[in-house]
Amino acid sequence: MAPGSAQGAPAAGRSGPGMDGGGPAAHIVCMVSDFFYPNMGGVESHVYQLSQCLIERGHKVLVVTHAYGHRKGVRYLTSGLKVYYLPLKVMYNQSTATTLFHSLPLLRYIFVRERVTIVHAHSSFSAMAHDALFHAKTMGLRTVFTDHSLFGFADVSSVLTNKLLTVSLCDTNHIICVSYTSKENTVLRAALDPRIVSVIPNAVDPTDFTPDPSRRDDSTITIVVVSRLVYRKGIDLLSGIIPELCQKYPELHFLVGGEGPKRIVLEEVRERYQLHDRVRLLGGLEHQDVRNVLVQGHIFLNTSLTEAFCMAIVEAASCGLQVVSTRVGGIPEVLPENLIILCEPSVKSLCDGLEKAIAQLRSGTLPSPETVHNEVKTFYTWRNVAERTEKVYDRVADEVVLPMKERLDRLMTHCGPVTGCIFAFFAVLNFLLLTFLRWMTPDSIIDVAIDATGPKGAWTKQYFFGKKRRVKEELPNS
Amino acid sequence: MAEERRFLSASGVPIALRRRQHSASCRELAVRGPRLQLRSLSAATSAVWLAAYGLFALCENSMVLSAAIFITLIGLIIYLHFVKVDQESLLVIGSLGIQVTSAYASGKESTTFIEMGQVKDVVINEAIHMQKVIYYLCILLQDPEDPQGVSEVVPLFQSSKPRLDCLIEVYKSCQEILEQRKTAP
Repeated sequence: MAPGSAQGAPAAGRSGPGMDGGGPAAHIVCMVSDFFYPNMGGVESHVYQLSQCLIERGHKVLVVTHAYGHRKGVRYLTSGLKVYYLPLKVMYNQSTATTLFHSLPLLRYIFVRERVTIVHAHSSFSAMAHDALFHAKTMGLRTVFTDHSLFGFADVSSVLTNKLLTVSLCDTNHIICVSYTSKENTVLRAALDPRIVSVIPNAVDPTDFTPDPSRRDDSTITIVVVSRLVYRKGIDLLSGIIPELCQKYPELHFLVGGEGPKRIVLEEVRERYQLHDRVRLLGGLEHQDVRNVLVQGHIFLNTSLTEAFCMAIVEAASCGLQVVSTRVGGIPEVLPENLIILCEPSVKSLCDGLEKAIAQLRSGTLPSPETVHNEVKTFYTWRNVAERTEKVYDRVADEVVLPMKERLDRLMTHCGPVTGCIFAFFAVLNFLLLTFLRWMTPDSIIDVAIDATGPKGAWTKQYFFGKKRRVKEELPNS
Repeated sequence: MAEERRFLSASGVPIALRRRQHSASCRELAVRGPRLQLRSLSAATSAVWLAAYGLFALCENSMVLSAAIFITLIGLIIYLHFVKVDQESLLVIGSLGIQVTSAYASGKESTTFIEMGQVKDVVINEAIHMQKVIYYLCILLQDPEDPQGVSEVVPLFQSSKPRLDCLIEVYKSCQEILEQRKTAP
């Protein structure tokens, strides 16, 4: 990214809605998650878009994640969003290994040098996010956590994750969920007080997902599926639907985007029923290509078995497609009834839903893609998400952080006798380690980082410190 | 004309920045670290010797003692000759280039010279170093094939690691001379 390209952007937004009326003090927010660009996914884009909108509203935001290959060190993104790629070992699925302690020195250094006031962790799969919450509480910083996924209660792995989540969230100031279903799930899993859980849905960038009816072939009917091809996304249902509907409707085509272990199932179906010309498997898609795939279709099919908040159906509706989806998790909250056909997660019910959509399409009763797009684009905007998140920050800023003694009490009474005591012991160890680090390098020795964003951001000033300029070149193998 | 100012390094050790103006376009900046402390030297020596005596008491082999003497001597030589940097200096000559010198405690000096045509800019950057995030000063080298690109980054003051206030001081001095180069034909 060229230094010049990032400079002009925030100046326009600074005079925006966030700054009028002298509002409450700006926050310095540190977003922590294992998942960030260049990795692709819902959490990654959530963190990025939310940060950009918060910067626009006059807050200072930085992102902390782990190193991705050669991308390590300190980087700047658009409007001076600072990203720390920390050299921590990745264990599984892009999530870092955790010992609960080893990340303390670096995270503490970053929190101190950036003068962070609120630590905002994302995704319960991210070990780094839990670590950061743990350290932030030890350091007496306010903490916010956003949960992006739904969990079960029955199998061993979810029992363990739920226990970890109980420990991690019992003394967190505020929790944000992406849908009411997700809130219910999180409250149950982590045994939380529902009053400290807010619901702020995800958003899509409507300008990225615009309809283009000229791209689709109206002599046929195309059903688009864009999802990772994994069990959770109900690909087995899809493999039952494809042959049934293809026999019934000779002009029906399927377009499947995405990659995953269940691809083989779809390939088998295609082989068995000789549907090579009508079922196209596109493989993994880059985020920018998704729109080009979506606009080729008439109907979007989502077969997820569990979903906290389905971004894909909002993106599809924004492209003007008729959405057919399973009624699971938070999906019924996402779109109004006139834009979505909800079905039970079974092959029969989904086929009925699709047939209904096809019938509507043939009779021409479906609203035009433009009207659907204009309706959807008002639903979920990142500016709205940022505004609501800001309210959470304002609320959290007035709260007190639990002192050590109360925190230990909370851990021991809240998380069961054994786990509670173990983690209370860890909290004490963490505090001792922090005291040791403070003795080794006192806070006064740590240089305050030059502020790239926020109300006094260096990016808005043409000259600062004489004519000091910043670089964003590759760090020398740091 | 020389002036000296005191600063701290990133690990909290006092360092001194000396600026010497030779002429309008020639300037020398030197960062001097603390001298070798007799206390830390004797602490390291006695630690090795105590360990050696402990081993000697166990195995009663006098070879251990002579080995300890050799280890301390060789260790001291290596430390003074290759590790302990007394002074790092930067000589910026507007029409010629930048000379980077580091003087080791033994008196050994290592010098590199970067021709002015290769120097693209001198900037302050940040990096993750050990368990810290620090600022450092570096010279960006021009990529000969691509006028916009940077072929290499040469970090400066690697062993003393001054804090940001000191780096800004050095940075400004360097920029003053680099500016002259740009305005001159």
